[in-house]
Amino acid sequence: MVILGVTGSIMAFEPELDRLLHPQLSYVAPDRRVISLSEIGDAASRRFGGEPVVAYLPSLSPGLSSQVLLPSGIAYVNQHTGEVLGMRTRGQTHLGYVRELHVRLVGGSFGRSIVKLSGIAMLFSLASGLYLWWPIKRVSIRGRWGTRRPWFDLHNAVGIFSLLPLAILAATGTIIGFEDQVGPLIYKLTRSSPMHITRFTPPEPAPGATAITPDEAVAIARTHIPGAIPYRVQMPKYGGLYVVALLNPKERVAGDGNVVALDPYSGQVVSLSRSSDLSRGARVLAANEAIHTGSVLGMPGRIVVCLASTMVFVQALSGLFIWLGGSRARLSSSPPMNEKGVS
Amino acid sequence: MKKAIAVVLLLTMNAMAEDLTGKWSGAFKVDGSDHDVSQLFIFKQEGNKLTGSGGPDQSEQYPIENGRVDGDRVSFEITTGEWKFTYSLRATDAKLAGDLELKSVDNRRTAKVNLTRIQ
Repeated sequence: MVILGVTGSIMAFEPELDRLLHPQLSYVAPDRRVISLSEIGDAASRRFGGEPVVAYLPSLSPGLSSQVLLPSGIAYVNQHTGEVLGMRTRGQTHLGYVRELHVRLVGGSFGRSIVKLSGIAMLFSLASGLYLWWPIKRVSIRGRWGTRRPWFDLHNAVGIFSLLPLAILAATGTIIGFEDQVGPLIYKLTRSSPMHITRFTPPEPAPGATAITPDEAVAIARTHIPGAIPYRVQMPKYGGLYVVALLNPKERVAGDGNVVALDPYSGQVVSLSRSSDLSRGARVLAANEAIHTGSVLGMPGRIVVCLASTMVFVQALSGLFIWLGGSRARLSSSPPMNEKGVS
Repeated sequence: MKKAIAVVLLLTMNAMAEDLTGKWSGAFKVDGSDHDVSQLFIFKQEGNKLTGSGGPDQSEQYPIENGRVDGDRVSFEITTGEWKFTYSLRATDAKLAGDLELKSVDNRRTAKVNLTRIQ
């Protein structure tokens, strides 16, 4: 549970931490001028031995660079000047390791099972903590540090103030862990079904036909999801179609679930899925995930998730000191603390 | 001794004679995952060079890169965007099985793959 808490608090700010770890690749001086995706792709491809562009991750903020996915890695490009800032090759990073710890304790199926059960264990732990806190209802910290009393008070105070967010995190995390079992139940209760995305095999292009540009693909996609911002453009060589994913910033739940697939030659839309068309069951599951990550409330939500997750470590530490204090007391035959934590 | 060399040569030639050209379907399962992920490959083999495409189904296909066939050993790569898939398979009868390494910009995972010839 401590590992899940610590890793969860880090993951709450994963994008920001990732940018801080790679500042020279991530940040650019904001400017009004923005070059086209084709120009961005050409610049990245030229710099890295003519590698084809797999996909674009356009910048979502004027101060952040655009990314170009190439077979050998991800190139970072200043979308205002066309300057190639560098490349990140593929492989495990510290933040990726943190995520693996949070999801499966870096232990495959066995680790994943432990993580799933930890959510339930956390809910039991919180319920027992509330049961023990209720008779004394302590919310302030008293006593001299170095004794057992302040740790006992800290454990009580932190426990009661973080009870609700931790219970929500444990419950939503348990649902994510058991989604294969809980998902069908949610669809049954909401009388809905998972969103079915119909895929179409693209037609063979006419001889001499030329493909539309990624910028044209984005322009067409945006007419179908007004107000949404493109955050990913997959090139037709990789998958057969242009696939444009768009973010609707007004939607806190599944706002990134807008996807338009286009025929690369005619520009015709061959499949379209809007986040607003999500079924009730899918919306419940997406909301559960947004609550777990804190993204449902934006930055304030992520701060709450980060703080609450950190409190798991504080509770474990204070609990350890209480236990150690109790052991020492027993060893020295001093009278144990009463139910009010006073010896 | 001559017989033994002949048998080895025959077996080697037999293994090399297996032309992978055609459609192969199956799935991979990432270690620690609950799901099988479907796979469909359309291979073209010319000598020991392997080209073609692969992906989850017929409508979503990605080009095969750095494809190579050495005896019964088959290796190739596919890039889907965030993830790069590196396959290290072994051909036996009409089956291909082996390991898959998935690498993103911040993550590395492994999986087991099983494919069967369908055409």
